[in-house]
Amino acid sequence: MKAKEGVIDLLNKVLTSDLTAINQYFVHAKMCENWGYERLHHHVRDRSIDEMKDADELIGHILYLEGVPNVQRLGTVHVGETVPEQFKLDLKAEHEMLKMLSDGVAHCTKVGDFTTRHMLEDMAKDVDEHIDWIETQMETIKQVGLENYLSEQIKKEGS
Amino acid sequence: MKAKEGVLDYLNKILTCELTAIHQYFLHAELCEHWGFERLEHAVRSRSIGEMRHAEALIKHILYLEGLPDMQRLEAVHVGKTVPEQLTLDLAVEVEDIALLRAAIAHCATVGDFTTRHLLEHMLKDSEEHIDWIETQLETIKQVGAEKYLSEQIHKESQEA
Repeated sequence: MKAKEGVIDLLNKVLTSDLTAINQYFVHAKMCENWGYERLHHHVRDRSIDEMKDADELIGHILYLEGVPNVQRLGTVHVGETVPEQFKLDLKAEHEMLKMLSDGVAHCTKVGDFTTRHMLEDMAKDVDEHIDWIETQMETIKQVGLENYLSEQIKKEGS
Repeated sequence: MKAKEGVLDYLNKILTCELTAIHQYFLHAELCEHWGFERLEHAVRSRSIGEMRHAEALIKHILYLEGLPDMQRLEAVHVGKTVPEQLTLDLAVEVEDIALLRAAIAHCATVGDFTTRHLLEHMLKDSEEHIDWIETQLETIKQVGAEKYLSEQIHKESQEA
């Protein structure tokens, strides 16, 4: 099926963001593992895999719309050297993604592409949940202090 | 643990190759799905996921060696417009990958980093299996023709269940 005007462009932009986020979250997850924060490692790694699933869907949808998925482009990967820094950078990435998705939803409404809109809305919901999770972590750090927070991220075997 | 000289450079180079391969194979898998070649889609997708596992092991090992994994670099992703073209392009990636792995393994032996060497040897084995699989497909296409080969790649629900 042929795509409506501007839709492929928009989908490729979201795809680039997703591909960048995959790399950023993945390296953050591995850093958490290296520091021994196994609980955090699993959370962040799952987030990276969520983004992979989104990328999967985007590529499929671009092909369905007879477009060419751009898997060559990569935005800047921002790597945090501490856990709070990682949260801050990931939050920024999620906010940018949300903005892009909202613009995409508005554009799809305008040109009358409701299937693409529906897909982007599903993705926006996931982003909302990611933002909520990150904000909760940052708030917890504020309330209990970084050291207490981090010590809770060390998985105890048997638990 | 501190890395021996040149090891981190090699590991980051291999990581770039893996990240590029992930993108290329993933897109090829999606194209196969789009064309209705579901059997092929699954094979190529698991190849892409295999490379993701390699990337994960590499990142982990780079961090263990107190290095910084380079997630920013991406080489040219070569996209094939037909199945035989995809197979040829993927083969080129694997051949390049193998050359790099062999050079890195030799380097690790020289500087005496045997754990890294061991890790890379595992990856080399996987790459060789990938090459074997791709070469088999290309040979089958040569023997039976692309049309017959492709018709066998359409997933029949009753059979695969």
